[in-house]
Amino acid sequence: MPEAFIPLTDFVNESKSIPRDHSLDKPVAKWTEEEVLDGEVVEAGVVILRTRGCYWSIKEGCSMCGYFNDTVPGGVSDDMLREQWKKVRPILKGKKYAKIYTSGSFTDPTEVPFDFADEVMSDMSNMGIQKVLIESLPEFVNPKNFAYSNSPKLEIAIGLESSSSVVLDKSVNKRLRWPHFVKICKLARDNGAEVKAYILLKPPYLSEKEGIQDAIQSAIDAAPHVDKISINPVNVQKNTVVEKLWFRNEWVAPWLWSVVEVLQKCEELPVRVYSDPTGGGTRRGAHNCHDCNKKILAALKNHRLGLGDLKGLHCNCKSRWEALVSQSKLRRNGSEPHGYRSGFAGSRHF
Amino acid sequence: MEPIAHEGLGRLLELENNLQTPHVVFSHSDLEESEDLESGGTIKIGKVFNLPPSPLGLDSEKAPYLQLSENIAVIDNAYSIQPKKLVEVAKHFRLEAGYSRLLYAPAVEPSQMPILAYLGVDIFDDLNVELRSSAGWVLESGEWIKQNKQIDDLFSHNREELNRWILRIRNAITNGKLRELVELTSLHNPRVSQILHHSTPLLIERGARVHSTIRSNNLSLNHPAILDFQFRLSNYEPPAKDMVLLILPCSARKPYFKSSSHKRFFNALREVDNYLALHVVSVTSPLGLVPKELEFCYPAAHYDIAVTGQWSASEVEMLRSQLNKLNINQNYSKAIVHAGSSSKIMTELIKELGIDVVNTRVEKPSSYEGLEVLQNIARMSLNDVPILNTKDRARGEAKGLAKFQYGNSSKFLINSEISGRMPYKLRCGDLAAMSSVVGGFGLTLKGGIEYSLNGGPTIIAEDFKLIGDLFAVGVKSYEGNWKIGDQVVIKQADIVTGVGIAKMMPEEMVSMKRGVAVEVRHHA
Repeated sequence: MPEAFIPLTDFVNESKSIPRDHSLDKPVAKWTEEEVLDGEVVEAGVVILRTRGCYWSIKEGCSMCGYFNDTVPGGVSDDMLREQWKKVRPILKGKKYAKIYTSGSFTDPTEVPFDFADEVMSDMSNMGIQKVLIESLPEFVNPKNFAYSNSPKLEIAIGLESSSSVVLDKSVNKRLRWPHFVKICKLARDNGAEVKAYILLKPPYLSEKEGIQDAIQSAIDAAPHVDKISINPVNVQKNTVVEKLWFRNEWVAPWLWSVVEVLQKCEELPVRVYSDPTGGGTRRGAHNCHDCNKKILAALKNHRLGLGDLKGLHCNCKSRWEALVSQSKLRRNGSEPHGYRSGFAGSRHF
Repeated sequence: MEPIAHEGLGRLLELENNLQTPHVVFSHSDLEESEDLESGGTIKIGKVFNLPPSPLGLDSEKAPYLQLSENIAVIDNAYSIQPKKLVEVAKHFRLEAGYSRLLYAPAVEPSQMPILAYLGVDIFDDLNVELRSSAGWVLESGEWIKQNKQIDDLFSHNREELNRWILRIRNAITNGKLRELVELTSLHNPRVSQILHHSTPLLIERGARVHSTIRSNNLSLNHPAILDFQFRLSNYEPPAKDMVLLILPCSARKPYFKSSSHKRFFNALREVDNYLALHVVSVTSPLGLVPKELEFCYPAAHYDIAVTGQWSASEVEMLRSQLNKLNINQNYSKAIVHAGSSSKIMTELIKELGIDVVNTRVEKPSSYEGLEVLQNIARMSLNDVPILNTKDRARGEAKGLAKFQYGNSSKFLINSEISGRMPYKLRCGDLAAMSSVVGGFGLTLKGGIEYSLNGGPTIIAEDFKLIGDLFAVGVKSYEGNWKIGDQVVIKQADIVTGVGIAKMMPEEMVSMKRGVAVEVRHHA
């Protein structure tokens, strides 16, 4: 690890020491959303269970990840996990597709005990759910961690983030190497699971252009090894390195135009590449100017569900995005002047 | 690379190809982006130089703050870093970059360029100007405006304007007016204003002392040269014990003793017996109090201010603190205030300190009537004050001035054979004499020898016959510390061969290969 990176991770760890007051018998969140299953738009049940959280975030953590804010460092007992499960079952009933998130790895047995996971899987199978999405760090993609006795079709989402080791080491702070990723994708697929890869758009320190280039390259690299790719524009989560850089105005969330650009460049790839930007249209998420945020987000949703394409989008801010992208590498960080996306209309600028 | 002029921590360098700093590079012609994340691209400043890679994974608030390549040091995030932090970073600029690297601040706003140049940045670019242009804004003297009239090619218009703006910064350094330009840009810009506010201690500590006139305004109470003068007043002692303090108004003409009003005061006072026991201290803003012996010292003879007769609360507070530094109740037996519009305030402030004070209550101090009142009151006040003779007075004056100018190294001057009298003929034996160029005692060559023995800053030069000024190429090493504008001693082969005024910072002299290092006043 580069020595100078330590202060930033220290900062993240400091934020984590703030005591968190979460009720253990309730899940973090649950909702339904539209998803594509076998080429058809269905309603999916989405659940975030409250757990101990990601082991890596306890050790160091990734620079953009604030999901540890939802976790309980002391861990959550099996009884409490079962209580949570009782509360989320109604939302999963009658659905064909379920997404079961934790703020860590569902396949880490020290975070989600295998027996509990096994119970939950057969419960969902019995409910008639056809496919379930779970998330895992690469290191837990091991067949013994998902050898459930009875389960719907498994889709394991893995945060590749980037195929570049420089980005992984110096920007994301994730312990992953590209060859390992290729290996575990094969392992998962050989054991009957599908693999979904998360790729970051504009991780911290990167400029807009570097972010776009890195996301496109990572998608091209990952495509042969996975079943679908989700482009995740980096958003500003609480108590993270990204938030620190954002407060200091050394980095800002990417433009929605950049998301569109990446998706268009990935159209020819043999797998589905789409994006559902977290916090899209807000200052903490990918955004453009006030005039077109909604329009672009709607187009991205249609694109994700296979109901439309990204052609013909236009707004006055696009030329500003082009001007920024063409110089962004020269700026040497991911920043831009306050108010630029709206053409410096209205607010105070110096 | 040759330093031509300095102000604050900023410098005007003559580069190859007739280029000068502060210099602006243009992204379309001078900057080349890097091929990958681990290299830095290039910058063209006459020649093409490699840039250091951008700081991936680093915390911008932790040292080292600069990214270095062979010829270029980059201060990333200069545009956004917290004002207070930025000043802290500026302290490290030359420690990290040295003097032979050009310091480049990417993507800063034109309005921030003057203050950054003042803190030592050499190179700027047009990246933010490009973004503003793409949003339809017009650059005008460092400010962004919306203009109704359409401009055909806004990008090149704004680039040209940026060039003019940079030229204005360069000219300001040449003319010793960069501070004025910085103050101007700070007026309606909170960020620049904060940076300027926080940078005062750093500028006092390391800023070049260019003896340019301070055209004062409300910001001048924070001018580093003014504050430095005020701080050093605590080092000062009046010529003798138990003198009568006489507070007079300042004058537009500097030094004060040359003004017609002060000439009239002097002519009136010299008719009074024992007038040498009167100690004249002028009250003024933004400097506060200027004892007669210090009228030559920078910036007492180098400022100008609008006279309104109104004293603001912060000025009154400043006067109070300056009076405290004079240690009035120990140094003087009583005080007379004859200062026109400031008489009331000064009388009250002196009363607070607990010595007898007489206010002449004259509205026009240099009028015929005013002078008569002053004469009478002086006569009465001096009645029971011990006689002070010319010689003791001169010795005391020299002592006060030497201590103020040379601080702890002043003993050799204080113990010398003092003769003459203020203002022009006062001298410390063959060691130092009054000089308006130096602004106080200017050292002779012999004085230089003594100064060097007493811990004065000394430059060790190569062994050659020193004729005219000392150039940086001839500097080997140095002892002690100084600011640009201070007097320094030149030694060659362990022998003092010159004294003069430093034109570069200590490390700068060693690392530069061109340019005047010391303006020599006396040779061996």
